[in-house]
Amino acid sequence: VLDTARFAVDSARKAGADYADARFVAEESESLTAKNQQMEGIDRSLSKGVGVRVLVAGYWGFAATARTEDAEIERTASLAVSIARAAARLPMEPVRLAEVEPVKSRWATLVQEDPFAVPLDEKVALLMEASRRMQGVKGLAFAEASLDFYRRNTFFASSEGAAIEQTVINSGAGLEATAIENGEVQRRSFPNSFRGHLRSAGYEHIRTIPLTEEAERTAQEAVDLLTAKECPTEVTTVVLSSNQVILQVHESIGHPLELDRVLKMEEAYAGTSFVGLEDRGRLRYGSDLVTITADATLPGGLGTFGFDDEGVPAQRTVLIEDGVFRNFISSRETAPVVGESSSGGMRADGWQNLPLIRMTNISLEPRAGTLAEIIGDTKDGIFMDTNQSWSIDDKRVNFQFGCELAWRIKDGKLTELYKNPNYTGITTEFWGSCDAVGGSEEWTVWGTPNCGKGQPGQVARVGHGAAPARFRNVRVGVR
Amino acid sequence: MPGPIGPDGVRAVAEAALDLPDADDVEVLFMHEWGGLTRFANSSIHQSTWREDTGVRVRVIAGGRVGVAASNDFSVEGARRAAASALEIASVTVPDPLFPGLAPRSDVAEKPDSFDQDTASTSPEQRAEGVATLVGQLGKGFRAAGAFDAGAVEVAVANSEGQFCYAPITQSTLTTVVSGVDGGAGTAEAAATRASEIDPEAIGQRAFQKARDSQEPQDLEPGSYEVVLEPLAVSTLVGFLAWMGFSGRAIDEGRSPFSGKAGRTVAGENIDIYDDALSPLTLGLPFDFEGTPKRRVDLIERGVFRTGVHDRRSAKLAGTESTGHALPPPNPEGAFPLNLFLGTGDATVDDMIAATGRGLLVTRFHYSNVVHPIETTITGMTRDGTWLIEGGKIKHPVKNLRFTQSILEALSNVEMIGRESEVASEFFFAASRVPAVKISRFNFSGKSDH
Repeated sequence: VLDTARFAVDSARKAGADYADARFVAEESESLTAKNQQMEGIDRSLSKGVGVRVLVAGYWGFAATARTEDAEIERTASLAVSIARAAARLPMEPVRLAEVEPVKSRWATLVQEDPFAVPLDEKVALLMEASRRMQGVKGLAFAEASLDFYRRNTFFASSEGAAIEQTVINSGAGLEATAIENGEVQRRSFPNSFRGHLRSAGYEHIRTIPLTEEAERTAQEAVDLLTAKECPTEVTTVVLSSNQVILQVHESIGHPLELDRVLKMEEAYAGTSFVGLEDRGRLRYGSDLVTITADATLPGGLGTFGFDDEGVPAQRTVLIEDGVFRNFISSRETAPVVGESSSGGMRADGWQNLPLIRMTNISLEPRAGTLAEIIGDTKDGIFMDTNQSWSIDDKRVNFQFGCELAWRIKDGKLTELYKNPNYTGITTEFWGSCDAVGGSEEWTVWGTPNCGKGQPGQVARVGHGAAPARFRNVRVGVR
Repeated sequence: MPGPIGPDGVRAVAEAALDLPDADDVEVLFMHEWGGLTRFANSSIHQSTWREDTGVRVRVIAGGRVGVAASNDFSVEGARRAAASALEIASVTVPDPLFPGLAPRSDVAEKPDSFDQDTASTSPEQRAEGVATLVGQLGKGFRAAGAFDAGAVEVAVANSEGQFCYAPITQSTLTTVVSGVDGGAGTAEAAATRASEIDPEAIGQRAFQKARDSQEPQDLEPGSYEVVLEPLAVSTLVGFLAWMGFSGRAIDEGRSPFSGKAGRTVAGENIDIYDDALSPLTLGLPFDFEGTPKRRVDLIERGVFRTGVHDRRSAKLAGTESTGHALPPPNPEGAFPLNLFLGTGDATVDDMIAATGRGLLVTRFHYSNVVHPIETTITGMTRDGTWLIEGGKIKHPVKNLRFTQSILEALSNVEMIGRESEVASEFFFAASRVPAVKISRFNFSGKSDH
C-alpha cells in the first residue's frame, strides 16, 4: 500500500501542489473491560484510509478519505489542493518547511509477543481473575479490569522522495476498584488511572503487570478511603508519586513547550503558552533538579516511533536543562521560526487527521534516591498518589490537580490516610520549588493515552518517564 | 463531493451482517460522515481539512453472550467480516444475564429540516469567505483564531428484530477567539443545521467587542462572588452535571449525585433541566444508537430531581423502559443525555448586571474537571472575557480566575435566568441549549496572571 500513498502524492502534484505528502494508515484496536466478573465489552475496531497534505504557494490543504480506489484518491488529492488555494483568501507569511533528508525506511515497535495473536479467552480469563480477586474485598462495589491493544500501520510518502513503512504497537492493562458508601465514592487504580499502564510493546508487557497479585490491595485501598479524613487545607510540602509527576510534566511542561501553541496556532481551542520565543536559554522554569527531555527513541515509551508523520526521524531533545528552558517541541513548519530543524513531533490521530505537534516521550530525568528515602527525608508534608483530575488555564500557568489518595508524612513516616486530595499552583513557582527527584531505580516510563488537541479533535498516545519528586510550599486541599 | 448513501444503500450492506448463521441476534450501527473544517489563527487560515469516513459497528448475541466489532469498511464484505469478528468475540465471553435484547420494531419520529444539501456540500472557498468576513470585523491590533466547519452525517440502525431507522443530518459551527495586544480576549460561536444560518459578521463583531472590552485586565483576589454566567459558561455546568449524574446506570449503581434522590429537591425551584433531541431548537438524532426512538426526559423539574436517562440495559436493571439515550455499544458507562436544555426565565444579561452589587460577568470556562463527583464539585478557569461588576455596572476586565464550585449548590442559588438561550455544540448529535443565569454566590479559589 506504499504505492497508494505514492499515487496520492503524484495525484496532488498533478493537481498543482508544490509539496505533498500522503499517509495510508490502517489502525486496529482491541479493548476489553471486565466489571464484577462480567465482560462489559470486548471491542475490536479497524479503520483505514488515506490522508493527503499539500502546500500550494505556501498555504496548507488537507483531505482524507476511507475510500481508496484510484479515482477517489485522485479526487481527494485534488480537493486538498483546492483547500490550500482557498486558504490564500487571507494572506499570511507562506509556510517554509525545515529541511529533512527524504528517507526510504521501515520501522516497527520491538515486540516479543503479538498482542492480537494472543487468544481472546486467555485475555478474558486474566481480567475475570483480577476482577474476582478485587471482589473478594468486603465493601467493594465495582471491580474493573481492562486491556487495550493498538496496532497502527503507516505508509508515508512525500513529493521529496520519502517512503516509510512503520508499525507501532501499544499494549496496556489496568485495574480500577470503586467503593461506595453513604454518598461517598472512592476509586483506586493500579498501576495507573485511565486504563492502567500502556507502553509501546507487545503482550509481554501485560505479563509484567501483576494485575491479579495487586487486585486485593487495590480494592482494599478503595474501601479504606471511604473512612479516611478529607485532605486538609494548608500550604505544605508535597511528595508526588511518579504517575502523578508525569501528569504534572504533561500539563505544565509538555503542552506549554509545543511550538504551535507558542505561535498561537492553537489559540481558539487548547490555548497558547506563557512561554515566549525569547525565553530560550533565559527562562528559569524550575529548580536545578529539573531536567526535561523529549525522546521519541525511548524504548517502550508510548510516544516512541521511528519517524514522525512528516518523515522526520525520531530524536532526543533536551527541553529544560538544570531548570533552564532550552528547546521547544517543533515541526518542519514551526522549527524555522526559531532557526532550528524539526524536533520530530508531528503526529496525526489516524489517516483522517492533519498531523499536529504532539508530545513524544516527555520525561523528568532521574536524579537520586528512592520514594522511601524522599519520604524519610521529609519532616512534615503530604504524599499524593495517582492522578484523578486535572485542570489548567489556557496559557498553562495556574493549575489544580487531584489524586486518588494521600498520606500525611510526619517525621519521615506515612501516618494518616487522606481522601480527595488535590493541590494547586503556578507552573514556574511549582517547578522552582522542586527539591528532590528520585533516581533511576524508581524511574518509570508511563503512558498517557488520552491527550487531546486540535480541531477537529485528535487524541494522541504519548509517554512520560518520571521518578517520585518533592515540592515545597504547595497549597493543598482546595475547596 | 460525496452525497448520502441513503436508506436503501445502507440496508443492502446491513443485511449482509444481519444474515449471520450461529447468531441469535444481530444489530448494525452505521455512520457515514463527510465535511470540511477551515481552521484559522493569527487571522489567517492555517489548517484547513476535509474528510469522509464510514463506520459499521456490529453487535452479535449468541447464547446470551454479546460481542461487538467495528470497521470503517462499509461494503458487504466489510460488514460480514465485522459480524464474524463480533461472533468470535461473543464466543469467548460469558453470558450477560442483564442483556435486554435488541430494540423491537417501532416507528421513529421524523425530524424535519435536519438535512441541508448546501451545508453538506459547502466548499472550502465558502468557508474561507466566512472566515474573511469574521476577521474583517476586527479592529487594528486584534487577531482572530477559530474554526468554521460544515458537514453531514448519515446514521442508521438495523437489527434482526426488524427495526430499521435512518436519519441524515447536517451541522455547521463557527467558533472564534479574538485577542488583543494588551492581554484580553473575547469569544463567540454559533451552531446550526444550515451553514447559511451562521452569521460570521455578527460572530466576529461580538467576539471583537468582548476582546476590546477585555484589554488590560486587572488582578482580582479570589473569593466568593455574585456571578452573571453567559450561556457558554452555563453549558459547562449543565454538561458536567450530566456527565456526573444523569446516566440511569450510574444512578442505579449509587455513583451518581442523584442516586436515591428521585423526588427530592436538588436545586432551586426555578431550575428545569431536560433532554429533548426532538426539539427543533437543538441539533440531535430522533433515535439512539440502539434504534430506540428518543423522547423528552424531564431530569430536574422545578428543582426536584425526577429521573435519569436509560438505554435498554440500564432500563431493564431499573425496571423501566429505555428513554432512547443509548451510546454506541459496548458502553460500560451507560446512557447519556446529548441534547440538554436549561429552562429559560425572563431576564436579560443587562438586567442581571444591573442587579449585581459586586460580582463577576463570566463569558466562559476553560479546561474544567471534576473535583468531587457526588458533591458535583468541579474546577476550571475563566477565559475570553471576565469583568468585575460593581453597583450594577461593569467596572473593568479582570485576569482569569480559577473556580472550585458545586454545580448543584450553584443551581440552588440562581436568582435570575435569561429569556434567550443559545446552543453550544461540541460535536455531532450533541448540543446543550441554555440561557445566561445570575447566581448569588460562586467560589473562586485561585487566579492566573493573564
